[in-house]
Amino acid sequence: MTLIPFFFYLCAAVLVLASLFVVLARNPLYNVLALVVVIFCLSTLFMLLEAYFVGMVLLLVYAGAVLVFFLFVVMCLNLNTPSLITAKQNRFRLWGGLAAFMFLAGLFLALKSFIAAQNLEQSSIRGTIEIIGKILFTEYLLPFELTSLLLLIAIFGIVSLAKGALYFGKEESTT
Amino acid sequence: MIGLGHYLALSAIVFSVGVFGIITSRNVLKVLLSLELLLAASNISFVAFSRFNGDYTGQLIVFFVILVAAAEVAVGLAIIVLMYRRLNTIQADELKEMKW
Repeated sequence: MTLIPFFFYLCAAVLVLASLFVVLARNPLYNVLALVVVIFCLSTLFMLLEAYFVGMVLLLVYAGAVLVFFLFVVMCLNLNTPSLITAKQNRFRLWGGLAAFMFLAGLFLALKSFIAAQNLEQSSIRGTIEIIGKILFTEYLLPFELTSLLLLIAIFGIVSLAKGALYFGKEESTT
Repeated sequence: MIGLGHYLALSAIVFSVGVFGIITSRNVLKVLLSLELLLAASNISFVAFSRFNGDYTGQLIVFFVILVAAAEVAVGLAIIVLMYRRLNTIQADELKEMKW
């Protein structure tokens, strides 16, 4: 039990550092790999909050599939050319930093009043796959089925984009 | 003892880093990665609220967020690949075909 604060602060520190690395690193490959570290820390935090199912799904879907997809695109586009890495990547750095800082300050002000207003104790719910699955297939059945429709629409979109690329390629080759 | 405030503060910090990334980066791939950071930050607060309120709805919302993000990333990356094929670059400034 006493290990929980230690793990929380460790994960929080690594999470913030890795997210800064995602934003600041110049090489697209390093950005994607830093995001993998972010997802691992996030999953550990979910485990600390005893949300086991969501943590594992995040690890499997994100680190396993989505980020590999990102890596695949980076490799496929051959983005590691020196010209891209050394190219000037950041405009608005001052204004972006200022806006993000103002945003953070506003969030912390809101948080301060919120935390002072209510004092919540840690409950003992455990997000095991049994409980989450039961709720998912009874109470949230309609949204769950609708996500399949969303994924279907995404597939249609990607296929039509790829078809369009083929079409454009043909047109350019004939003219 | 780690309370709700700790998790919400962490979420706020990560969210701000993501906002900074979206504003400053020219690389379209990096904008998409920063978007993932925003989703990750909101997921932290959903799970923290779920834990501290004793309600499973937050964890279910995170599940749906993961699904939607997967679809969004697939379409976004397809668009980036098309952009690279047509313009031979993924810098956002080069997209000026609709400029007049």
